[in-house]
Amino acid sequence: MKKKKLKMNPILKKELVVSSRSIKMSMALMCVCGMLTLIVIAVLFSSGSFRYSYDYSSLIMLFPVLGIAECALISFMVPIITASSISGERERQTLDILLTTPISTFSIAMGKLNSAMAVVLMYVVTSIPFISIAFVLGGMKWTSLFGLILMYIYIGFYVGSVGVFCSSIVKKSIAATILTVVIGCSIIAGSFILYGISLSVDYHAQAEALLAAGKEASGISATGIPAILMFNPYAPVFDFFLRSLSSYSVYELVDRACNGKMNGFWEFIYKAWIPLSVLINVAISLLFVKCAALKISVTRNKKKRKVKG
Amino acid sequence: MLEIQNLTKRYGKFLAVNELNLHVGKGEIFGFVGPNGAGKTTTMRVVCGLLKATSGDVFVDGISAIKSPSSIKRKVGYVPDFFGVYDNLKVTEYMEFYGSLYGIEGSDMETITDGLLELVNLTDKKDFYVDTLSRGMKQRLCVARALIHDPELLVLDEPNSGLDPRARFEMKEVLKNLGSMGKTIIISSHILPELAEMCSSIGIMEKGRLIASGKVEEIMEKSFGSRPIHIKTFNDSQASEEEAHDNLNRLLMEQPNVKRVSFTEDEAVVTFTGSEEESAKLLKCLVSSGMLISDFYREKEDLESLFLEITGGDGNEEKEA
Repeated sequence: MKKKKLKMNPILKKELVVSSRSIKMSMALMCVCGMLTLIVIAVLFSSGSFRYSYDYSSLIMLFPVLGIAECALISFMVPIITASSISGERERQTLDILLTTPISTFSIAMGKLNSAMAVVLMYVVTSIPFISIAFVLGGMKWTSLFGLILMYIYIGFYVGSVGVFCSSIVKKSIAATILTVVIGCSIIAGSFILYGISLSVDYHAQAEALLAAGKEASGISATGIPAILMFNPYAPVFDFFLRSLSSYSVYELVDRACNGKMNGFWEFIYKAWIPLSVLINVAISLLFVKCAALKISVTRNKKKRKVKG
Repeated sequence: MLEIQNLTKRYGKFLAVNELNLHVGKGEIFGFVGPNGAGKTTTMRVVCGLLKATSGDVFVDGISAIKSPSSIKRKVGYVPDFFGVYDNLKVTEYMEFYGSLYGIEGSDMETITDGLLELVNLTDKKDFYVDTLSRGMKQRLCVARALIHDPELLVLDEPNSGLDPRARFEMKEVLKNLGSMGKTIIISSHILPELAEMCSSIGIMEKGRLIASGKVEEIMEKSFGSRPIHIKTFNDSQASEEEAHDNLNRLLMEQPNVKRVSFTEDEAVVTFTGSEEESAKLLKCLVSSGMLISDFYREKEDLESLFLEITGGDGNEEKEA
C-alpha cells in the first residue's frame, strides 16, 4: 500500500522560512540566552560558588528559578509573536489573497499558532544547556527536564492561542499585543477572584451553620472550590514546580485545607491536577483558535468597510 | 462562465451593489468601468468569495459562489489592486507557498512556476527576494500567483493602478497573452482606453448599478452620436470675426442634429447627435452655403468620453461605506 506523505501546513512552512531569515529571531534568541546566562550567574553567585564556601541547598534553586524565568519569558514573547500573526497579514494586505485559496481559516490560525510554537521550541532547545547545569549541581531528574519542556510547550500554546485570537479581532499588531496581555492577565486574575469569592461564600455559609451549633468554621467545606483554579493556565505549572521542589502536590495542599474531608471524586481530580488542568486549558486554547478562525472567515457578515470601487 | 443574478450588497444603510445582473461568456475579457465607489470592487470580491452578498447569486461555471464559496476557490484566481508580499521570501518560494495552498508540490510546482514566470516575463528574477522587485514586477508576479492553480476565471481589480507607462504596457501584454490562451478575465480599471484595447466587452457601473454593458464596439456605436464636431472656417470677406461667427452659428443651428454651438478662439465646437453620414451631410451643407472650411473633424470615440458621458461626472468622487 502506498504511504500517504504527511504534509506540513503551508502557512507554518512559510512562516518558518520567513522568520528564520529575520534578524529579529536571532536577536530574540540572543536576548533569551543572555537573560538565562545572567540568571545562572546570579544563582551561582548567591550560593557562594565564586567564594571558598558553597551553599549547596541554594544551588538546587537553579532549576526552578531558570524554569520559572523561561516560563515568564515565553509568556511575554509568544503574545508578541502571535499578536501580529493575523493582523500582520491584514497590514500586509495578504489576508484576502489567503482567503481566496482553498486553505481553511482554522488551518490559517493553526499555522500561525504552530509557527509561534516552533519559535518556543527553538527557545527551549537553546535553553537546554543552561537547564542542564542543574544536572551537574543536582536538584533535578531527567523526568523533570522532560516535564519542564512539556510545560513550556503547553504555556506557549495557551498564550499563543490568545495572541492569535486577539490578532484576529484587532486590526493593528500593537493593539493586538496589548489586548493579548490584558486578556491573559484577566484570565489569571479572574480565576483567583472567582476562587476568593467562592472561598468567602463558603466561609460565611459554614460560619452561619456552625454558629448555631456553637462551633468555629475551619477549612474549606466545599472541596470543589480549589478546582476553580484549574482554569488558570498556570495551575499545572504551579503543581509541576511544587512537585519538583518539595514532596508536596496540589492534592496534599487541598487535602490539608479541607481537613481531610475530601471524597473519592475530588481526590481523583486533585491527584490528576496536572493532566486535567492541561486538558481544560488546551481545550480553551483550541476554542480561542476556533474563534479566531470564525472571525477571519468571510462567510460571516462583516462590518462596514471602505468601498473603493 | 460567470453569471451574476440580482446581486445586492449592503454595508449597513449604504447600498454598494444594487440588483446587478451580468453574464460573461467563456474566453471573454470583460472590463468593469465606473467611478470610485461604484461597486466594482465589491462585485469582484463577491465573485471571489471574499464577501457575502446581501441577496442574489453569483455562478462561476454553474457553481454558486454564495452557496458554496469553497467550491469556486479552485476556479477563480484573484489579483487585488494591492500586492501584499512577505519579506524574506524569494520569487520561487512565493509561488511555491501559494502552490502548496492548492496542494501543488514537488516537480509539478517547479514546472508550473517556471511556465508562469516565463509568461509574466520574470524568469530572470526567480531567485530575487519579492520585496526587492519593482511595483510593476510585483503586480505581474501577483498575476502569476493567481494563475498557479490554472483557474478558469481570472479576476483583476485595477491591476494597472500606480504603475508607470512601461509597467502598464508589460501588464497589458501579459493580459493579452492570457486572453489569447482562452482565459476568462474580468478586469476593472480607471485607464479606460487601455480597457478598450484589451476587452471584448465592458460594463459601466455607477452607484451600484450596471448602467451599460455589451461589446466594446456596440457601446462605442451608441455613444457615437454625442461626440462633438470641431469646425474651423477661413474668413476672406469684409465681415468681422463676430459677424462670421454669427453666420456660422445661424447656419449650424438650422441643422437637425445640432444641439449646441460654442466658439473657442479659432474654432466652433458643435454638439452633434447625428451619425457619420449626417456629419458628412453637415459638411456638404456648410460648403454649399459658401463657407470656406479649413478644418472639419469629429472627436475620436474613446471610453473616457463615453464613461464621462454615461456617468455624468468626472468619476473621481470618493464614497465611504
